[in-house]
Amino acid sequence: MIKGIFYFLIFPGFLFTAAMGCLSGWFDRKLTARIHWRVGPPWYQNFVDFLKLLGKEIIVPADSMRGLFLFAPVTAVIGATLLSVVLWQPNLRTDSGFLGDLIVAIYLSMIPALALIIGGMASRNPLASLGASREMKLMLAYELPFIVSIATVIIKNGYTIRLYEMVQHQAAHGAIIGSPSGFIAFIVALLCMQAKLGLVPFDIAEAETEIMGGPLVEYSGAPLGFFRLSKLMMLFAMPVFLITVFWGGIAPGALGAAVGLGKLLVILLVAVLIKNTNPRLRIDQALRFFWGPVTVLAVISILLTLAGL
Amino acid sequence: MNNIALLTAFPFIIGTLLFLIPKRARGLIETVSGVTALVACLGSVRLFLVRPIESTFAYGISFVIDGLSGLALLGVTFFTLIIILYSIGFMRDHVYHRSFYVYVLWTLAASIGALAANHMIVLALFWGFLGLTLYLLIHIGGGSGAAAAAKKTFIIIGGSDAFLLFGMAIVWQAAGSWDLLGVKLPITSGLTFWAFIFFVLAAFAKAGAMPLHTWIPDCAASAPIAVTAYLPAALDKLLGIYLLARCCLDVFILNEAAHLVLLITGAVTIIAAVMMALMQHDMKKLLSYHAVSQVGYMVLGIGTGNPVGIAGGLFHMLNHAIYKCTLFLSAGSVEKKTGTTDLDHLGGLIQIIPATFVCALISSLSISGIPPFNGFVSKWMVYQGIVEMGQRGGRLWVLWLMAAMFGSALTLASFIKLLHAAYCARTTEYAEAPQREHCAMVLAMGVLAALCIVFGIFAKQLPLRFLINPILGGSDIYLGIWEPSQAGLYIGTGLLLGMFLYGALSLKKGFFRTDRTYIGGERLPESSFISGTDFYNTIKEIGVIQKIYRGAEKKYFDLYEQAKRTFSYMTELLRQMHTGVLPTYLSWVVFGLILLLWILGKNTW
Repeated sequence: MIKGIFYFLIFPGFLFTAAMGCLSGWFDRKLTARIHWRVGPPWYQNFVDFLKLLGKEIIVPADSMRGLFLFAPVTAVIGATLLSVVLWQPNLRTDSGFLGDLIVAIYLSMIPALALIIGGMASRNPLASLGASREMKLMLAYELPFIVSIATVIIKNGYTIRLYEMVQHQAAHGAIIGSPSGFIAFIVALLCMQAKLGLVPFDIAEAETEIMGGPLVEYSGAPLGFFRLSKLMMLFAMPVFLITVFWGGIAPGALGAAVGLGKLLVILLVAVLIKNTNPRLRIDQALRFFWGPVTVLAVISILLTLAGL
Repeated sequence: MNNIALLTAFPFIIGTLLFLIPKRARGLIETVSGVTALVACLGSVRLFLVRPIESTFAYGISFVIDGLSGLALLGVTFFTLIIILYSIGFMRDHVYHRSFYVYVLWTLAASIGALAANHMIVLALFWGFLGLTLYLLIHIGGGSGAAAAAKKTFIIIGGSDAFLLFGMAIVWQAAGSWDLLGVKLPITSGLTFWAFIFFVLAAFAKAGAMPLHTWIPDCAASAPIAVTAYLPAALDKLLGIYLLARCCLDVFILNEAAHLVLLITGAVTIIAAVMMALMQHDMKKLLSYHAVSQVGYMVLGIGTGNPVGIAGGLFHMLNHAIYKCTLFLSAGSVEKKTGTTDLDHLGGLIQIIPATFVCALISSLSISGIPPFNGFVSKWMVYQGIVEMGQRGGRLWVLWLMAAMFGSALTLASFIKLLHAAYCARTTEYAEAPQREHCAMVLAMGVLAALCIVFGIFAKQLPLRFLINPILGGSDIYLGIWEPSQAGLYIGTGLLLGMFLYGALSLKKGFFRTDRTYIGGERLPESSFISGTDFYNTIKEIGVIQKIYRGAEKKYFDLYEQAKRTFSYMTELLRQMHTGVLPTYLSWVVFGLILLLWILGKNTW
């Protein structure tokens, strides 16, 4: 039990994921700044941002549901942490995980978004309501192609839904991303990740210029800090998820860690480039985009997989 | 005296005796019914613990309680107890107060009989009686809506009963025995396949799988909510899925085609019903479509044919009964407090009935399959079963997996809408001084909501080990599955730490400040609020989906309505001949006589 708590709180859980998330967030901010021809923040910027928010006054809207409003952000952080713990077990080879942890990981990755929706609803602000509804629709949009792309992975990894066996299978037979069908599925999952992380062009739920942060509009101080932190943690955890299931996972040892870091940076680079070269979509455009071309792409990858490619 | 017969007869006799109590002695009626349900509940626990029990009567009629029927029996008696507890608060002022309790106890008796019956004809008898009590219970909703819904239900359920009898006759002819257990009829010929289909139709009609689901939304719209929570949400699922499982595990040995029938029905039911739920504006109707959609998971689980899938389907049956019952009961509390369940007019209840909101939130997360609640565990097992099918060859499993997982996301979406519109939306309509919620109603919902958490976190230690595992011979199919208790520990730790942090922050004076909501610095009029009922209009407006919704609104997919239209078209033809002009009738008679004479004469001469 003590070991479990350590996993959860320190490594690879909360502290590790939060620190890596802040650094990934810094990579994003720095790169964006360079694209904009600015200098960009120092590496510790996200850490101090979070600490500063912890020290700020917390404003609770008058007729909100207080408990839910305050604990939704905490749940978001817990969800991201749990996701990280489940993902790192196979990568660290500490534990063979459990049967079906892939599905658990998919569902855990939904929790931060869900917490944002519920927190927004609990604040009872009309703008937050709009944002919450957009977040929910966005979730519906990307969930369909995401599941199909994961089905490709399941078939390619020899019908296993255990992350540990997926990593082992890829170590023996080469990464899934190397095959045509695997690559297409990876592209689909990458687009879904972009939406899951709420990065432009899919930052529809928060859309500062339209609905002033959507579900976050009433948040301030520590709860806002938790939501921001959970976003950063997901910015690290979701690429790790893609690396684990599509790209051979992260091998143990210093070399393995370095290669893993390289993979992480590549995925982040793509995400940041997409973010900086696209305007925000409307929610109905996003729905059509994910249920249309992206799902078709995912189905093509399934068909290719079944054809043995 | 025989235990099973006693348990069946006891609620029936007490229920009938309730007619002797004066209508005004409402407290006495409630007490007697409650005690009866409690005794039945304890009796079923006893039977469950000492199972398997078999008792034989004359003519080889036997009653058996094994793992499967024992599980359903526990569920049936437990939910009867919960509903009676809730009804103390909910049905108090109802016109048909006494009749309600009588019918509930009769339903209990018939359910116990149907579950214990091993003789097919006896099963059919109790099954038919259940259709009758269902009719009566829907009827006490009053008004023409309830009458029409009751009739529709009776026709669908009764019609499927006829098919069930037909299926039983085929099985009897093929197996030479009326017993359910130990038949194990392989589906080799076309006749046995049809027998299987007939059994399955009866199970589908009862549980509400497509295409025989259409009575559930109508019933939810017009019957009292306590009835909806009792029958379509809890008991009919237990009974229908019991019959389905019995027929798939004991009566038949399924072949590929039979599995395919189940899988297709399951997948279509999940997606189609949840898409309908997404667009509903009435809380009861929204919930009723989910009561249909969730059946899909159970059917899908049993259809996979492997132990983990079947166990998942059965576990989902139990979980569904728990959270759907909670959800309907919370809708009942809303109706009791506001007099409506129309989501367009509701809002702001988070302040007025907070306990109900918490129960509704927990059960909404459960039904959406969010870890660590109970719905997640059973859905996870169904997914596992589906992937295992893929392992053994077969290509279609991707479709089933997509339907199941995407259906889960859609479920979440529609519950976000419900919670927002009913509880969170800003409206002044019901902002009167908070009144206390009725304690019996809160207790009933609280027990069920707590079960959602306990069955989720201790899934492996409690329900799977004691209830589900014994049905499938206690095999170790759960080795190495997710340990929700560990995740529960983590989540608990995280929440505690969050609490400590907020506690530490609040030590500083003036750290928490309450202020009015910020809408760009403006003060919006109270009348302008976002309800949430049209959250998903964006989806409704997408090309193909729009067409399907329009068709559904015109009831094109309602089998009952279609049959009704066909019959009325045919009778219309006949009606047109009835002109009311006497000479016309006379010429018809003469013409008929000539025809008759000609036919008779042709043979004679």
